[in-house]
Amino acid sequence: MWDQVGQTLNESTVRILSRLAGLLPGMLALIVAVLFSALLAWLVASLLRRFLVGVHFDEQLERWGFSSIAEWSPQQSPAQLVTRVVSWSIVLLGFVLGLAAFDATLTSELAFHLFSYLPNVLAAIVVLLVGSMVARYLGRNVLIEAVNMNLQYARLLGLGVKWMVMVLTIAMALEHLHIGSGIVHLAFGILFGGIVFALSLAVGLGSKELVSRSLERESARGAVAETEQPFRHL
Amino acid sequence: MGMAESGIEQIGVAEVVVGLVPASHDAQTLEAAISRIVEFTPPVKAVLIHPPYSANGAYPPYTGTQWRLVANPQLAQDPSSLAQSLGDSFRVIFDLTQRLGGRACAIIASDLSTVTSEWVPLLLQPIVEEQFDLVAPCYARHPFEGLINRAIVYPLIRALYGKRVRNPLGPDFGISSTLVERLATTPTRRVHPIASLATEAATSGLKICQSHLGPRIFPPMDWTNLSSLLAQVLGALFLDVERYAPHWQRARDSQPIPEFGHPTFVAGPEGAVDVTRLIESFQLGARNLPEVWGMILPPSTLVELRRLAKHDAAGFRMPDETWARIVYDFALGHRVRAINRDQMLRAITPIYLGWVASYALELDNMAPEAVEQRLEMLCVAFEHTKSYLVSRWRWPDRFNP
Repeated sequence: MWDQVGQTLNESTVRILSRLAGLLPGMLALIVAVLFSALLAWLVASLLRRFLVGVHFDEQLERWGFSSIAEWSPQQSPAQLVTRVVSWSIVLLGFVLGLAAFDATLTSELAFHLFSYLPNVLAAIVVLLVGSMVARYLGRNVLIEAVNMNLQYARLLGLGVKWMVMVLTIAMALEHLHIGSGIVHLAFGILFGGIVFALSLAVGLGSKELVSRSLERESARGAVAETEQPFRHL
Repeated sequence: MGMAESGIEQIGVAEVVVGLVPASHDAQTLEAAISRIVEFTPPVKAVLIHPPYSANGAYPPYTGTQWRLVANPQLAQDPSSLAQSLGDSFRVIFDLTQRLGGRACAIIASDLSTVTSEWVPLLLQPIVEEQFDLVAPCYARHPFEGLINRAIVYPLIRALYGKRVRNPLGPDFGISSTLVERLATTPTRRVHPIASLATEAATSGLKICQSHLGPRIFPPMDWTNLSSLLAQVLGALFLDVERYAPHWQRARDSQPIPEFGHPTFVAGPEGAVDVTRLIESFQLGARNLPEVWGMILPPSTLVELRRLAKHDAAGFRMPDETWARIVYDFALGHRVRAINRDQMLRAITPIYLGWVASYALELDNMAPEAVEQRLEMLCVAFEHTKSYLVSRWRWPDRFNP
């Protein structure tokens, strides 16, 4: 009986060892792929960092109105953020390619799904970037015009426009990522409608007196401006 | 157009050309202005180009004089796009002057009811007889009229280019064929026919003078359109600042230019002027636009503006140096595109209204001579602060006061 037990154990050990031995080339290939991709990532990252510093990427981004990106970037530097995103993407790509050494079918399916999802991620990033630029531009435009029109609730208007565009942008980005599209539609409808409703309430009820005073003053001023004011600008 | 073309063909050549670009095409006003203008008898053949005002195309003949009249429908002012429409009309007159081989042209774009028979000789004779290249206008000086010119245009042009041209943006000018040719050969996207006239003449070493034309009716103030007006005027002005940077960085101090005619003054309103609305506009801007201003102005100026916003009319004074630095900072912001250019130019409106309030409070019951001294002080402040602009212009990233 002890002989049978010993034989079974031996066979199991041989099976495990042979399985392990079968995995070793794949493991080695994975390690090589990850090491190679890490090396490539380091090379690309250092070149990219040098380029971004050279073109004053951080300052340019601040000038374009994306100063908030610096707040959640490593070392307060958006260039650093871009560099890290690119380098980790290369390492991840190397890892996925390395996995192919274990099971070609499984990994090719994984790679196929991953790569077919990539355009959605890219489209979502583009939508977010363009949307936030448009939101900032429109928000600032409305704010400046409202101030120049002497509207006391100028800031509220500017913020309202900015966040309405931002909400629309985020909903569009999530739609591209196929993340809870039904919920996103519903949530977007509720949120967007809510913002409009809140603004209407704020202007119509909450700030009723403020608005009516402001409008009264404007209309009164409009009537007297040409007769009483001695200023001519041109 | 066909009528204008055939008229030009028949005339052939003319020594001088006068163009009318009125805001209103009221037939009576136009006819009255034209009859006043042709009272002056030019010693040479002259062409008067005016917008059509007769429904049937029939105009009274002015026979026996040197004048030839041509109606041209392209001459017009559009209040919603004033700089663009005036620029286009100026270009039409420049083109006709060149085609007729004229030595000089005069352009009248002010309200025609103030135009007298003296305007044309005052704008043309310095060119024809004394070989000047640009005759800029000087109007009867009212302390609260032409405020954009007083606050920004005149002090800025004077400090940068070193010529004391009182109204560099006219809009009434006498222009020699040399200057017309220079403007015509420069690509249209690079120069504005009005904003660039004085700067082009000053930087090209051409002879500039100014003529006192007397009173002028200034268009009534449109509060809602003020920011758009500022954006149009300053946009063209700041483009020139960028274009002529090598010239103005070398220019030092400022020199007076020859004057023709007699200066006249218009007294300001009697009693205190109500500036509450202007101060409120400034305070509203200071409360809501610090982030926008912060992208253009240095922190020290922002602190000054915040402090100023706490004052009521009694203590509301904007120092000349502060205002000069603000204008220079906006010129620099326009160059480096700190934010969208149109937004940036519109964002100056509350600060400009703050300056107007401060200026009006200082001029309270001042004599006309004292008003002129006050303007002179502002211009001197712009000249003294020019080194600030030069430093920031050369090292926009490094120089942060």
